[in-house]
Parts: sequence; structure tokens; C-alpha cells
Amino acid sequence: MEKTPQIKVENLSKFYQMGEVQVKALDDVSFEIYEGEFVVILGPSGSGKSTLLNIMGGMDLPTSGRVIIADEEITKYNDTKLTAYRRDKVGFVFQFYNLMANLTARENVELAAEICKDTMDIDEVLEEVGLSERKDHFPSQLSGGEQQRVAIARAVAKNPLLILCDEPTGALDFTTGILILALLRKINKKMNKTVVVITHNMAVGGMGDRIIKMRSGKITEIKENPDPIPPERIEW
Amino acid sequence: MKKLNKRLLRMIKSSKGQFISVVVIIMVALSIFISFSTTAVNMRNAIDYYYEETKLSHIHVQLMRIPQGALRQVESIEGVTDVQGRVSFDVPLKTDDEEEKVRIRIISLPEGGGKVNRLYSPQTIDEITQGNAILIKQFAEARNIMPGDIIEPYINGREHSLKVIGVASSSEFVYLMENEQTMMPAPEKFGVVYVTEEFAQSTYGYKGSYNEILIRVKDESMIDDVADELDKRLDKYGVKRIIKREDQLSPKILSQELMGLDMMAAAIPVLFLIVAGIIISIVLSRMVSNDRMAIGVLKALGYSNREVLLHYLKYALSIGVTGSLMGIVIGLLLAGVLSEIYAMFFEIPLLKVDIHYVYIIYSLFLTSLFCIASGLMGARHVLGITPAESMRPEPPKSGKHIFIEKIGFFWRRLSFSWKMVIRNILRSKRRFIFLVMGLAMAFAINTVPVYMWDSATGMFYIQFGQFQKMDYIIGLAKPMNEDVIYDMKGLLKGGKLEPRIEYPFEISNGWRKLNASIIGIPRDTKFYEFRNEHDKEVTLPEKGIFITEYMAKALNIKKGDRVKVKNFIPGKDDMYFEVREIIKQYLGANAYMDIDYMRETLTEKNMINGLSVASKEDLKTKLEDARNISSVSSIDDMTKTFEEYIDVMLLSINIMMLFGGVLGFALIYNSTIISIAERRMELAALRVMGFDKKEIFWMLAKENSVITVIAIFLGIPVGIGMIQGMADTFNTELYSLPMIITPKTFLIAGLSTLLFAAIAQLAALKKIHNINFIDALKSRIS
Repeated sequence: MEKTPQIKVENLSKFYQMGEVQVKALDDVSFEIYEGEFVVILGPSGSGKSTLLNIMGGMDLPTSGRVIIADEEITKYNDTKLTAYRRDKVGFVFQFYNLMANLTARENVELAAEICKDTMDIDEVLEEVGLSERKDHFPSQLSGGEQQRVAIARAVAKNPLLILCDEPTGALDFTTGILILALLRKINKKMNKTVVVITHNMAVGGMGDRIIKMRSGKITEIKENPDPIPPERIEW
Repeated sequence: MKKLNKRLLRMIKSSKGQFISVVVIIMVALSIFISFSTTAVNMRNAIDYYYEETKLSHIHVQLMRIPQGALRQVESIEGVTDVQGRVSFDVPLKTDDEEEKVRIRIISLPEGGGKVNRLYSPQTIDEITQGNAILIKQFAEARNIMPGDIIEPYINGREHSLKVIGVASSSEFVYLMENEQTMMPAPEKFGVVYVTEEFAQSTYGYKGSYNEILIRVKDESMIDDVADELDKRLDKYGVKRIIKREDQLSPKILSQELMGLDMMAAAIPVLFLIVAGIIISIVLSRMVSNDRMAIGVLKALGYSNREVLLHYLKYALSIGVTGSLMGIVIGLLLAGVLSEIYAMFFEIPLLKVDIHYVYIIYSLFLTSLFCIASGLMGARHVLGITPAESMRPEPPKSGKHIFIEKIGFFWRRLSFSWKMVIRNILRSKRRFIFLVMGLAMAFAINTVPVYMWDSATGMFYIQFGQFQKMDYIIGLAKPMNEDVIYDMKGLLKGGKLEPRIEYPFEISNGWRKLNASIIGIPRDTKFYEFRNEHDKEVTLPEKGIFITEYMAKALNIKKGDRVKVKNFIPGKDDMYFEVREIIKQYLGANAYMDIDYMRETLTEKNMINGLSVASKEDLKTKLEDARNISSVSSIDDMTKTFEEYIDVMLLSINIMMLFGGVLGFALIYNSTIISIAERRMELAALRVMGFDKKEIFWMLAKENSVITVIAIFLGIPVGIGMIQGMADTFNTELYSLPMIITPKTFLIAGLSTLLFAAIAQLAALKKIHNINFIDALKSRIS
């Protein structure tokens, strides 16, 4: 039986005008992602991967092309619909965690959850990311890894269709980075959530079900990986 | 609680200094608004009710003498509902202390209390009978006279004794003043005593007749017509003045006071709210750019623009609501205090402190509106932040050359630290403009009390040091031949004397008219020094008239125009006079003529009704029992009363300076905190490079001083405007504030503004100490 893709990206382009030069951040990119996949988008900085993630996350609009998610063409959405899409369908994890400094760990998660309709139990999610003990601490009292777990809990608690992670290990040391990746993989498997991770770290590619390589705004390779490595065995 | 609201509370907590400083401004604004409007409306209600309860006259006529029977002519005028005649005259009262001069006005009361100007007393007072009297409450309380006590006035040179049977208030004397020249009520020096008609008429020589008529009309719109008709019908009885209610001394002062309250209730809160608005918008705009990343994350999480904007507006709104609620509570408490202060000067027996909810709702609404508007102005950049962009580090603010650098010779001479100061000030032009505007306003508010002080003291000393130089003005009981001067000269040991005539007239130009006294004095007077509008000294001409600036304005008259003087003296015609000069007079409004010319045209040959005297003797005691003398006013006494009043004035001036100071403080404090927060990294970098805390403090202090000094200069015209407005509001027949604006005015106001700015700067010092430069340099969390 042929699987139907959950995400379809079709001929996506994004151009910026910088003075007299036109910068092609994305140049005619197309691919598909299936439900429950763990996708790694690999590329050096400036390859357009963040732009791609922003458009998929409903934070930015393309110059041309379409993104269809669960049969909805989000690139046609207006601002209100995009907001609703971000609210209910996507969870973000950022490189620099971006937590609210004056809310506790638990409150940061609630902040995201309380505007969604169908959310997960917050204490369960915090348990899942291993933060039950630290949930009443403020971000400044948490280590980088802990902050990133809060960020993941914040993304997961919304019970989204997909979780988008922008260099989630970029600010962390190796050991902590591995733990975070393992956590993302666990959530992907256990909850059957589609997870898209962008990174410049080639080693991370090995753990994905599908690896999309990018360079200068174009896709250079899409590789299906039927036998992903467990994150614990990654090394860089 | 919603997590965003929780975040809001923590935002408030971490910026509590800023939050409180704006809350205080709003609190002050609203407590003034609530207390002043509540007091004004309570007083107005109480007064209206009091006037109606006691049937205060609509028209008060003073005349030479009218037989009782002739009142019928007044009753028959259309629109007149009640007419009451009475005898009223001022006499000295005997006191235990020989030195003390007390005067009373004896007023006759018809049997049963009459139909007009009834007395008000919570206790029932027995009918007055021969030899009994009722005392006005202010006087009885000030002199501690109880029912049963005996008072002994001198009437026509004879001592009488009257038994006090009761104490009452009168709506005619809510503000108890002897005449227009008295500046403040002095209830222990002047009182009103009500006696039977028979007693007053027989002791004063008015058997079967009256010298005053009180009239009530059906409808207040008829007052003018009735007054005109009275003028015609009563001409033969020697009408001195026909005074409509709005021109009667006590009602007039009261309504002026209420107008002043209304003006302050509107102007001060609006000024304060504007400054609060400026601060809120600066604080919020800073907060939004500081929270750029957090706002991006919120949007990425799915919060809509509206929700995020509302989150920041709630900050503004919570300032507004906290400030309003505190202001309302304080305002209501103050309304009680204010009413008590008014009760010290105005006797309004039915005055209650009622709460008027409409003002509370109104002020909540107004403040919220102000806060939301300024919040929107500050937080509107929330809309422009896109989640994708906000994740990237903010590009450094584009450094630009500023226009001052083009002035090469100036720029080159500046030291490096001054260059930095100037660049920093102009870094955010909009904030710079707002800040300067706010500080200019705070400075301008400070100029007003300084001016008030200068002009009130100036008004007094110009009036009695420069304009009028006599020591006493003596009023004669009736017009007498000027030979009386020789008798007086005999009485005095040395000293100088000048004859004078003073009569009230109606002076008009077309439909504009007013009642004022014309004073006739010798042309070579040593006691008056007239100055025209250009402050040039002028002397009285042989013919023609001088009028004051206030009168010229009220009558719309220029030098050289003619005015009509309506003569109340029986058998004398109305006359036209050329206005030869428009002169300055700050206390009272009179017209002046050469005494001979005045007697030729308006009064009688050789007759005078007063004397101006320069003498070091105590004439008050000396002339107390003298027949034919109705009043002795001493300039010295007036100076003393005025000096007592100065203390009260000083207090209110200090309060106003404090108000201006609070605004200046809040502006500087907030902008300093913001510029420290905004430049944390820069300041930390300076610290790493070896600047110490003191040097950073001085750098910020220099920036603030430059801004404050610029604001002070720009505030000068604003201050002049406010002063002008103040002078216009207080320009009345009773007094006008001279425009005494000197560099000193601005110097004092400027120093006070700088002082508060310096205090604010010191208060912000703590934040500089708190900069941990290592953290500041590596932190990227908002």
C-alpha cells in the first residue's frame, strides 16, 4: 500500500533583495515527509535550511511554491490562519532555547499549552523529558541541557502534528547534545510525532529515517535510511 | 492565572521602580482631579441649596434713603416677587483691649426674619426684641461670644448695649469681608449684627425709612430688566449702587473660587497624565525592543499579534488602574480635607462631603484611555516583529553621523566623552524629543508658583509702596465741606493730608458696563503715582479720566475713547469723559479724576467724603470716637494681614514645586534606567576596558544634564504661556496679577528642575552598581 505523505514541499523558492543583489535562499526545493518520520535536514550555514524550516513552521512565506501539510496548503494562509497553524499544529525547538526568563520551567510549558485545544498532560510531558524535579526553577537556574528539555517539553505539550528543531544541539556540549537527540528520538517513536531536525552536523544525519542534504538553497540529495543509528552511538 | 498574566506580574515586579514612579504621577493627577471636582461640585450644590433655602436676594440696592411706603413702587415692577427694606451701617465695637479695632455692620431684620436674606441657624432663635441682637456665626466664633453676652457698639458717637440672643449664618456673608478692599476675611475684626428694624432706624436716624432694598425676582433671567427698571424708579431716592447677585461680594468671590477649582481640576491632571503617557510610551517601547526575541517566540508558539500587543498594553493599563484606584481613594480623603479648608474661609452650613461616582468613572475612563493610547504608541512595534527574524541576533543599531558634527569648529573642540554623550542623546530621536517635551513641561509647571509668589508679593508692594503712598484712608460718614481738612490738621501732630472723593458709579461703553468707584484726588497728589501700560509715569489731567487696565479690557476701551458715567446722585446728569490714560492697578479696579473736575461734573462743589493721610500716629485709636468719621483704614494693618496670608501661599507654592519636581524625577529616573538597561553590553564593555562605576555614572549624568538644560530653555516659552493663562484666569475686579517675569523666575524653576533630575539620577545609581559585566557580555537571554 502506497503511504500518503504528511508534508509536501513543492517547488519552493525564497528570494531576498539585498541592495542590488538578489539572494536565493531557497531555489526550487521539493520533497515529501511521511507521518512519524524522523527527518534530518543537513547543510552548512547559509544553505537555506533555516529559511525552509521557517516556512514549514508558518513563520515566513515563500516567494513561490507550496507547502502542503495534512492536505492543507499553508503557503496560501493569511496571517490569522498562520497563527492558528502555529498554535495547534507545530512545535518549535530553537538553538538558544528561547525560554521566557521570568516564567518557571513548568510555566513556560503551560504558556504554550494553554492556548491550544488538544494538549497533553503537562506533568507527564515534564516527566517524559526528565524534569519533574526541576519544574519550578527559572531558566536562569537551569543548565543549557535542562533549558533545552524545557523547550522540547514546550513543543511536545501542544500535541502538534510535527516538531521542528533548529540546531537543537548547537549550543550544547557533546554529551548533553546526545541526550537531547535521544530525547527527540524517544518522543518521535513513543508518541509517533513527525520530527524535523536541521543541523550542520553531518554525524547527526545518521540517526534520521530520511536525510535531506542542502547547499546554496538547493537540495543536493534525499536519502532514505531504513536502518538509522541510535543516537547514543553517534559521535562527533 | 494565565501564564502571560503571570509574566506580566513578574515584569512589573522586576521594574517596580519605574512602575511606581508612573503610578505616583497618575495617583497625584487623579487625587487632584477627584478632590477638586468633588469639592467644587459639593460646594456648588450646597451653595445653590443654601441660597434658595435662605432666599438670598437677586438684586441688592444701596441708596441714600427711601421711605418705607415707597417700597410699593418696587413691588409693582414686573417679575419682582419679594421686596424687603433694611437699614445697614458700619460702626465700631467696644472691646476689652483698647488697642484692638473691631468693626461691625448693623443690619435691621424685619419681624419674623423677613422674606429675603433669611438667617440660617440649626437651633431656633427667639424673636429679636428691642435691645437684643443676633450675631453672625463666624464673628461669634472668632471672638468667642455666646448667647447671653452683651455687646456694645458705638452708634453715631453713642455707646449702646445689645444682648446676644442667638448665633446664625447668612447666605449673604458666606465669605465675610468688610468690602472689596479687604483681601481676606478677618472674622475677629469684622462682624455682622442683626437687630430689630426699630432699633436700627432710631439709633441711626432713619425713622420710617431704609438705606438698602433686597429684591427677589420670579426668574433669574429677569434680573437685568428689573435692575434697569429699578434704576429709573429709584433715581429720586439717591441710588448708590444696584448690585446683581453675581456682583455681590460674597457670591462673586465664591463663584470665582469655584471657577479656579474647576480650572485646576482640569489643567493639572491633564498635564500630569501627558507626562505619565510620555513615560509609559518610552518604557514600553524599550520593553518591546528588549523582549524582541520573547515576542518572536510567543508568536512562534501561536500567540496572535492581538494577544501579544494586549499583553504589553496590560502593563500600561495596570499602571493606570493602580494609579487611578490609589488616586481615587486619596482624592476622596483629600476632598474632605479640602472642604474643611474651604469651611475655614467660607461659611456654608449645609456643606457635605458627598461622593460623586460620575467623577470616579470619568477618571477611570480618562486614565485608561491615556494609558492605552500611550501604551499603543510605545508597544506598537510588537506588530512589526516577525518570529523568523526575531530569532536572529539583532543587528547593531546603525551608527550615524549627527548633524552637530557638521558644525566642525564646535565638534572638533569637544572632548571624546562629550562627543559620546551627544551621540548617545541623539541615538533615539523620538525618545529624546519626548523626554525634552516632558521635562520642559515639568519645568514650566515649576515656573508658575515662582511667578505666583513674585506677582502676589509684587502686587501688594507695588500697590502700597509705589502706587499708593498714604498711611491711612479716612472715610467721612457724609459729604462735608473741604474745610474739614483744617480741623483734621489741627488734630494731627504733623503729617500730610489730601482731600478725596470716592463714589460708586456705573461706567459704560455701549452695552458693556461695570460698577466701580471713581476717586477724585488733587492733580498734584503726593499719595498716588500713576503708571500707564508702558510703565511710564503719568499725572492726572485737568479734564478727563484715568481707568485701570482691567476696566479698559472689560469695557473694550482704548486711550482717547469716551466712557459714559451714570450718576446715581439725585439731580445729577450722566456724563461722558475722555479716557486720558489706561493705568496699572493690581488691587481693586478704580477710575481716577482730578478732584476739582470731578466735583464740577459729578458731585458737589467744595464737598469731600474722605481724606488720605500720611502720619506715623495711630489714627485708628485717635479717630475711633470721632463723629462724622465712618472708617479709618490703615495700610499697615493691610500689610500685616497680607503677611499672614503669605504663609498660606508659601505652602501651596511648595506643593506646586513638588508636583513639578515629581514629574521631572519620574522622567529622568525612567529614562536613566532605560538607557542603562539598553546599553548593558556597552557599559559592561566600558567596564571591561577599565572605566569605573563613577565614570559611567558621570557619563549618564552628563547626558541627563544636557537633556534637562535643553528642556529648560525650550520650557521657557511654555512657562510664559502657562503664566499668561494663570494671570488671565485670576484677572478680576478685585485684583489682577502683574506680569512680573524676570530671569530669576526661570532661574529658580530651572534650579528646582535640575535638583529633582539630580535626585533621580542618584536613585538610578544602584542599577549601575548592579551591572555584572561578565554576565552582560555573554548573556543572550532576554
